[in-house]
Amino acid sequence: MTAAVEFLNVSRHFGSVRAVDGVDLSIAEGTFFAMLGPSGSGKTTCLRLISGFEQPTGGMIRIFGQDCSDVPPNRRNVNTVFQDYALFPHMNVRDNVAYGLMVKGVDKRTRHDRAEELLALVKLEGYGDRKPAALSGGQRQRVALARALINEPRVLLLDEPLGALDLKLREAMQDELKALQQRLGITFVFVTHDQGEALSMADQVAVFSEGRIAQIGTPSEIYEKPRTRFVADFVGSSNVLSAEMAASFGAPARPVSLRPESVRIVDEGARIRGQVVALRYLGAGTRVVVAAPGGEISVFLPKGSPVPEQGREVGLAWDDLAMHVMEQG
Amino acid sequence: MRSDNRPPLILTVGAIAGLLFLHLPILLIFLYAFTTDERTYQFPPPGLTTQWFAVAWNRADIWPPLYLSLKVAALSTVMALILGTLCAAAMARTRFFGRDQISLLIILPIALPGIITGMSLRSAFSIMDIPFSTWTILMGHATFCIVIVFNNAVARFRRLSGSIVEASMDLGANGFQTFRHVILPNLGSALLAGGMLAFALSFDEVIVTTFTAGQQSTLPIWMLNELVRPRQRPVTNVVAIVVFVTTFVPILIAYYLTRGGSETAGGGK
Repeated sequence: MTAAVEFLNVSRHFGSVRAVDGVDLSIAEGTFFAMLGPSGSGKTTCLRLISGFEQPTGGMIRIFGQDCSDVPPNRRNVNTVFQDYALFPHMNVRDNVAYGLMVKGVDKRTRHDRAEELLALVKLEGYGDRKPAALSGGQRQRVALARALINEPRVLLLDEPLGALDLKLREAMQDELKALQQRLGITFVFVTHDQGEALSMADQVAVFSEGRIAQIGTPSEIYEKPRTRFVADFVGSSNVLSAEMAASFGAPARPVSLRPESVRIVDEGARIRGQVVALRYLGAGTRVVVAAPGGEISVFLPKGSPVPEQGREVGLAWDDLAMHVMEQG
Repeated sequence: MRSDNRPPLILTVGAIAGLLFLHLPILLIFLYAFTTDERTYQFPPPGLTTQWFAVAWNRADIWPPLYLSLKVAALSTVMALILGTLCAAAMARTRFFGRDQISLLIILPIALPGIITGMSLRSAFSIMDIPFSTWTILMGHATFCIVIVFNNAVARFRRLSGSIVEASMDLGANGFQTFRHVILPNLGSALLAGGMLAFALSFDEVIVTTFTAGQQSTLPIWMLNELVRPRQRPVTNVVAIVVFVTTFVPILIAYYLTRGGSETAGGGK
């Protein structure tokens, strides 16, 4: 099966800035693909390379097997949900949604009927006559989604679409987006800096760092088997033990990632002892930072477990299996 | 916060005095269009008449300057609309080295005294052996008309979300469709306002015109010449009323257009 989107050693340099630097990736058709990374890591530039608003300075991009270097954005069967929604302020919601059909020359009746169908899909029936300015952030987001879907794209690009929404609404939209993607069966490429969002929604996650892909894999691979210190730290704020520490605990002499929730506070049989230097209440539990010889180790204590006082000396223990040996530190 | 919203008396008196100082002379000009005395501007006017409107209508020497002024104002407005909008689009859409400096250079002609603009254009025309004509007047006027349109368009571009152009392309529109359906409707009222202001400015411009006009005279220059001649003086006042109306109405419309625009144009973001 040909991949929906394929990057072959793609680079996009702006002068001396290497926004995207030698990226290889392949997105299978029908997957929910997340590009995860901090700001400036190149994920949005990758999205713009797919939509055609940026041209690669090196390498090749294929969309459904076809080299698309000479295809302008308006000829690509790819549509985008923009970060700021980019709704047309002078048009009502119906005309916004129908825009893609209007520029194709579809008659008014047909395109308005189709726009209403899509508004129903995003649960905005009856909002067609409103102006975007009269909608809430969540509603605008749905209009942007409906508008991007009207041309029946085979790939939908979403540029941090939930970034402007409050937490409650964001969680509701995450579920809805996921359900919508499964129902439509089209490929979603989703850019986000929120690791929770990427892990919970995506089938495949690419973690970006400084214009390169640090790791590609399923959410559980990314979370449980981070390949680099960057991935371990960015996704789930894992502890990274140095090679010497790892060796002293019986692991190979390589950097090791250790999830805070795998570490226990114990009185007997501690692997290492240290002093509690910080406590952070997180609602679902508490994060305890322990200064141990060789570095700080974070421990996540679920709700209900006894929380040590700050300054106290505690013992830490974990299973051998909790230590994941990384390829690089 | 004061409990009542009335301003202090001294401010009220000051404001009224200021308004009278600004606007009484204009009212006097209107008044003397109706005076029966044709040689001096004595106060109060000895009598009132509307005959000067008929006289003005029949004076053959008024029509060519009026026609020239309208033509120059219309053409320089069109020129300014095209060039000013293109400049604004370039400034709004891309960031490049020297962008702020170029932006300043575009705005400079309106800050520069008209006499400098006029002198420099005149010497440029003579160095390049360009004979004075309607086109040289037009070029002089375009220098400041472009600025007016540019300022209006740039302000509107800044309020528009930059990605709506990309959204339009993304949805399959070509460049022309994007311009027609997305850019123009959002820029429309700003361009209309800028165009009207430019028209009004060009219509009553004197200084730059005196340096670039050669033998022809526009309406304001005709008026200036007429004032030194003590013959049928109220005719000049009649023409002044015409100038006032043709410039004031567009400015008023422009004011309302841009005021309304600020509430709707950026709303989609």
